[in-house]
Amino acid sequence: MKNVLEVMNNLKEKGLIKDYAIGGAIATLKWTEPFFTRDLEIFVIPKKEVAENEILVLTDIYDYLKFRGYDKWVGQWIIIEGIPVEFIPAQGLEEDAVKNAVEVEYEGVKTKVITPEYLIATFLKTSREKDKIKIQMLLEQAEVDIGKLEEILTKYGLIKEFRDFYERWMKEKKK
Amino acid sequence: MDERKKEVKIKREDGKVVTLEELFEGKKKARKELAKLPFEEKIKILVELQKIAYSWGNKKDVIIWKI
Repeated sequence: MKNVLEVMNNLKEKGLIKDYAIGGAIATLKWTEPFFTRDLEIFVIPKKEVAENEILVLTDIYDYLKFRGYDKWVGQWIIIEGIPVEFIPAQGLEEDAVKNAVEVEYEGVKTKVITPEYLIATFLKTSREKDKIKIQMLLEQAEVDIGKLEEILTKYGLIKEFRDFYERWMKEKKK
Repeated sequence: MDERKKEVKIKREDGKVVTLEELFEGKKKARKELAKLPFEEKIKILVELQKIAYSWGNKKDVIIWKI
């Protein structure tokens, strides 16, 4: 894990990406109890601005990784130092999430992790069953700044989705 | 019958008798405590969970992280 983060920091230092942050399940796990997951999702702000309908390519990243000897793929994951990694280009909400991610250290290596408030918003956007479980875990176990969460949900038009999700969850809890 | 009278009680290992509600409340508290573990510790636990999924859960497609 430490080695993967060093590779990510290299990508940033070399200007191949603007910024990155750990997202998805591993970012959730930073704020909650540990749970099973398969991969490491990394949200990446590409170096080039991308227009709305333009196709986003991460060729520069993959070329650099290939040059470093990381060319093994398993499904959607590229294997870096024995860890399956998925790069997710960050735009809009995700870009904001990366910009507002918190700096943390992992075994002495500096990295960034998406905050609980932004994680809830990104999970709400995808809304798969496993995402909803992560939202529940974050709301129950992490210190969520409700004011900040409301601000993010309002900005990205997710307030209604959140209220519907919360109502359904509370109803299920009462059963 | 009064709902409270029907309430299931469990005798824990330490001899303490608790209601199901208290048991779940205790688990909730324990989860919050686990949430406070250092990031590195949590990743170690994750790798153990991946090993369990691979062997006991027979999920042979799970890649056990090298940390």
